[in-house]
Amino acid sequence: MSATDLSTLISRIDFAWITTFHILYPPLTIGLAMLLFFAEWRWVRSNDEGWYRLCRFFERLFIVNFGAGVATGVTMEMAFGILYGPFSQAAGPFFGQILGYETITAFMYEAGFIGLMIFGWGRIGRRMHLFATANVAISSTLSAMWILDANSWMQSPAGVELKNGVFQVVDWSKAIFNPHFMSAFPHMLIACVELSLAFVAAVAAWFVFKRRHVALFQRPLKLSILALIVVAVLQLWVGDELGQVTAETQPAALAAMEGHYDTYNADGSANTSWSVVSWPNEAGDGNAWSVQIPHVLSLLETHSWSEPVPGLNDFPADEQPPVAPTFYSFRIMVAVGGVLLLLGLWGGWLAVRGKLSIDRIADNRWFLKAVMAAGVLPYLAVWTGWWTREIARQPWVVYGLMRTEDGVSHMSPTLAIFWFVGFAVFETAVFFGTLHFMAKICRKGPDLDTPIAAFDPHDNDGATPAMHPDAQQPA
Amino acid sequence: MEILSFSQQVLALAWWLALGVSVLIYIALDGADLGAGIFSLFVRDHDERGAIMTAMAGTWDANETWLIVAGGILFGTFPFVYGSAFSYLMVPLAFVLWGIIARAISLEFRHLASPFWQRFSDGVFGLGSLTVTFFGGVCVGAVLQGYPQTDVEGRVPTYVGGAFTFLSPFSVWVGVASVVAVTLAGVLFVRARFEKGEPIRIDAARWTMTIFYLAIAAVGITTVWSALIFPWAADKWFGAHFWVWGLLFVVSVFAIARMRRATLDDRDLAAILWFNSAAVIMGFGMLATMFPYLVPGTWTIFDAASPQVSIVTFTMTMGGFVPVMILYNAYQIWVFRARVTKLAAHAH
Repeated sequence: MSATDLSTLISRIDFAWITTFHILYPPLTIGLAMLLFFAEWRWVRSNDEGWYRLCRFFERLFIVNFGAGVATGVTMEMAFGILYGPFSQAAGPFFGQILGYETITAFMYEAGFIGLMIFGWGRIGRRMHLFATANVAISSTLSAMWILDANSWMQSPAGVELKNGVFQVVDWSKAIFNPHFMSAFPHMLIACVELSLAFVAAVAAWFVFKRRHVALFQRPLKLSILALIVVAVLQLWVGDELGQVTAETQPAALAAMEGHYDTYNADGSANTSWSVVSWPNEAGDGNAWSVQIPHVLSLLETHSWSEPVPGLNDFPADEQPPVAPTFYSFRIMVAVGGVLLLLGLWGGWLAVRGKLSIDRIADNRWFLKAVMAAGVLPYLAVWTGWWTREIARQPWVVYGLMRTEDGVSHMSPTLAIFWFVGFAVFETAVFFGTLHFMAKICRKGPDLDTPIAAFDPHDNDGATPAMHPDAQQPA
Repeated sequence: MEILSFSQQVLALAWWLALGVSVLIYIALDGADLGAGIFSLFVRDHDERGAIMTAMAGTWDANETWLIVAGGILFGTFPFVYGSAFSYLMVPLAFVLWGIIARAISLEFRHLASPFWQRFSDGVFGLGSLTVTFFGGVCVGAVLQGYPQTDVEGRVPTYVGGAFTFLSPFSVWVGVASVVAVTLAGVLFVRARFEKGEPIRIDAARWTMTIFYLAIAAVGITTVWSALIFPWAADKWFGAHFWVWGLLFVVSVFAIARMRRATLDDRDLAAILWFNSAAVIMGFGMLATMFPYLVPGTWTIFDAASPQVSIVTFTMTMGGFVPVMILYNAYQIWVFRARVTKLAAHAH
């Protein structure tokens, strides 16, 4: 491996690291903002204090997660230019504009309302506060939309023309509504909701399991588990759509995800076998071993019984993505989707039999344990899903148009390692800090004693120092 | 390179101004937070350090948003500079980013931590503020020097030099000068944010004049040094239109004198506003000196602009989002304007 290849590889790992440790936080911000809105809306409508307490409790977890998201996210905006300078220059007219929109329409918008949401309790009216929460949910969703749009364009670069080394946009609507975007954005958005439902359910299950505040936490537990059934089914459907788009626009990526090497069998018939598990051989032109089911591949990718699906060997060796990481990441992601659906169905079955009522819910020990364990699964799915997507696009940074090694900044291996070590230290610290403080908030439990923050328009000159909601509680 | 049409050139100019405004607002707003962080390194009382953080809890992330906006404009409108300058500045920017992460985390998590970890996070907060300021200044100094680029027909010029090309006596000096100037902003912030009788405010007041004269010296040395080593600066300052620059110089001296007066009279808000006026005048003076270059000797505004600049996005940004954001910033500063005491750190 030459020094250039090595530094390309390390700077890819650098970028993978910072994105992997950033994507831990935004999905919860997006999904939990929606759920907080739901809880607060129920409170404003019904005046039921339980919803208010839940809202304030989960908001504290939200704040910790949001802080970590901002801390790791600022890096992202700079990292394109630092690690992928030539790519940023070439793709700037489209990609940079889209990220610029994200900054302007989503980041600024969100920063505006999040302050009101966190610090506004009792200082603005209930409806105004609900409005602020709604805007946090909308702005973070918008943010996800732009980011997914930029990334989808890298997967299926439409509407551009490569001129003088720069991607010039010739058709904005084609570029913005590129084929991947229409499925990838819904897929990610639903993932955010699914992750947040599983997160809320896991936290609530912990309280119920410990028999603390069972009456309060029965509600979010039951509702999120039931909602999970709908969302998990929806996700399977949208995920399948995205698979179709990938099959059409990036056949090599799809072949790698499925470990599919030969389009046709030795006898000339279409190779329709789908590998459940497999491992690539030394030469990289077939599987060393695999467990296969005939016809499933054609069913999955072409929705037909025996249409051929292009295999990896149809592509030149230097245009093939690595197989093992994409193949297994993809399978882990899909498996998580299935497990979450099963968990939802289990909860649904218990609910039908009346076992999720306030007085009986704490007795479902195995179910509660499963829900708590399942809290980490969607995180795993988000990671593996993104790894699949990004690794399967290789060796391209802009699919079919710009190779990754042409897009990375010129840097020595030493420098790439220096960068990696620094971010590894800081982002690991952020990660453990987040976990630690979330656990601490959970151990402390919800605050049921402080009177509901009341808004008095006659006594609101607003001139109070900002304090975190935690700091406003009596010692 | 594409040649921009006339209207696109006008737009590129407008975006360049927007970029300058964002950077200057960022420096004015977050400069105070960073300076207060540096000042906190010299504060011995645990609760006083906590109170400094409380004083900025409601506004710091909105202040940092302006940095993100500047980054967004750079990537969206001047991608050729974004892609080359950031790889040139890879090393100092890495330190800036680590500093930002460290600051964000210590600000957000302090109120949840145990006293031991609070002490640790206070240190991290102070050092993070120092790191961001110093390396931020180094980046500015390094950009003023310009950087070498590739020259291949049909390809965008890009940076392929070493990782340490940014390092020079001048860039390091600009880093030091930023630390001094930003500390002054921080001291003014502490004076404005704490109750008048608080010991920390008295300490801050005692240091103000020393730091003030150091900052004057730092700015003076930077200006003279720039005139000596940058022909593009000397040509403008001592050229045919020398009186324009002379006028700018007089106006900034006036603002600085007013700031000194306000400080001596204990008018904290006026002192901050005069300080920011001086910073903004000098900042615009520097941008005007660099014109038509965005990066002196390396990228002009027009070469650096995306061939796709359009009136639609510009109008959307400047007409819609930026005014809203300024209103929001102002509202937020107003809501959290009350002076704090060191007891504020005790509230949990």
